[in-house]
Amino acid sequence: MWFVNFLKSSIGKKSIMAGTGLCLFLFLCSHAAGNATLFSSVSLFQAYADQLHSHPLIVSVFSTGLFLVFAVHATTGTLLFFQNRKARPQGYRVKTRAIKTPWASMTMIYSGLFILLFALIHTAAVSFGDHGRIGETIATLFSSFFYSSFYIFSFLVLALHLSHGFWSMLQTMGANHPRYTLLIHRLTYIVPAFFLILFTSIPLLFFFGTGR
Amino acid sequence: MKTIDLELEIWRQKDTITAGQFENYTLKSISTDMSFLEMLDVLNEKLTREGKEPVAFDHDCREGICGTCGAVVNGIAHGPEPGTTLCQLHMRHFASGDTLVIEPFRSRAFPVRKDLMVDRSALDRIIQAGGYVSVNTGGTPDGNSTPIPSATAELAMDAAACIGCGACVASCPNGAAMLFTGAKISQLCLLPQGQPERRERALAMVTTMDSEGFGNCTNERECEAVCPKGISISNIARMNREFVKASFLG
Repeated sequence: MWFVNFLKSSIGKKSIMAGTGLCLFLFLCSHAAGNATLFSSVSLFQAYADQLHSHPLIVSVFSTGLFLVFAVHATTGTLLFFQNRKARPQGYRVKTRAIKTPWASMTMIYSGLFILLFALIHTAAVSFGDHGRIGETIATLFSSFFYSSFYIFSFLVLALHLSHGFWSMLQTMGANHPRYTLLIHRLTYIVPAFFLILFTSIPLLFFFGTGR
Repeated sequence: MKTIDLELEIWRQKDTITAGQFENYTLKSISTDMSFLEMLDVLNEKLTREGKEPVAFDHDCREGICGTCGAVVNGIAHGPEPGTTLCQLHMRHFASGDTLVIEPFRSRAFPVRKDLMVDRSALDRIIQAGGYVSVNTGGTPDGNSTPIPSATAELAMDAAACIGCGACVASCPNGAAMLFTGAKISQLCLLPQGQPERRERALAMVTTMDSEGFGNCTNERECEAVCPKGISISNIARMNREFVKASFLG
């Protein structure tokens, strides 16, 4: 009962967002590491994919877990969005923000839903495709201007989402201490920039024909 | 004496159940030495002389320490000057010809009573739930018998600077009261006197905060930016830790 009460509380819901956010962040790290093999060659990436899919139990456990984490993160985020709208039934005539850069925090629900759309398209095109020819699928997909542009735009949205989400996750987990403030402030820029550069390089690599 | 002329758009509402609307007023020759509330006093004297209903607004000490005053001026709680309550906001920060849109603090938990006056008793109920220490009667203990590190005392004092004005709720895009509750939980949990009721306090105050109809914090940092006392969101992080510990460890 105490656990249900915790989850239903405002801080409990924040903790769900932070906990699932951390899982998704760790997934992004592992995904980025796998993708980095494409900088070497398509055949190395294909070997990595083959190795991964030679352990069907691990793949099914992790993909089901990832799906659940994603679903909980998206559902709780949407629930919070609607609950928070109700907390101020009548808004202000003048809508001014006191902080200078509210764009990422203001657009979390929209950037989040866009990432959900991207994830659906990406999994349909790649994850549920032929794993034995995944390297070729990637190379063909990214040689298309439309697909490359869509992916690059999605990575920009992901960076925007992370620029608030990463810091917000640490704040919710109570990681707010003067000794680490500067490091956390820097990571707020470094983490989204890292993923943006790494993920964006791959479609660019293939679009400009430099991918092997 | 430097004076300015102002156009005012003020939210007027007869009572909680009647719908309100904005009304326009023109004020001429307002001294820049006046406080914002004194400017409203001048408006109210003018309205009274004209046989009209004066604008109702909350105020008490007018020294920036009681937390009674507060309104949203041009979209910012307590007006555009950082670290200032509305009573300590002076008209020298405005220019002649400015239009000021003055609205009450808006939140589901803060019903408008009249014009710019809102009922902030929801914050009182959060305090009643656990924002105190139970001290047994008896002889006064020696101050030196409860040593407190200077840095800890400073953190507790920083949190205790909260005057409970509600600007954090008014400015939060979600109408959350986490800065207020975080400050009140922090000031007590940091000190030895707050230890015996530490866990119960965190649970009771957060539960009451949720039941009063405030929104959920999404770490927007607006509360910290408008707080007239500079309360840091590190107090929210501390409250998160306190609540998680209290929930999981009892």
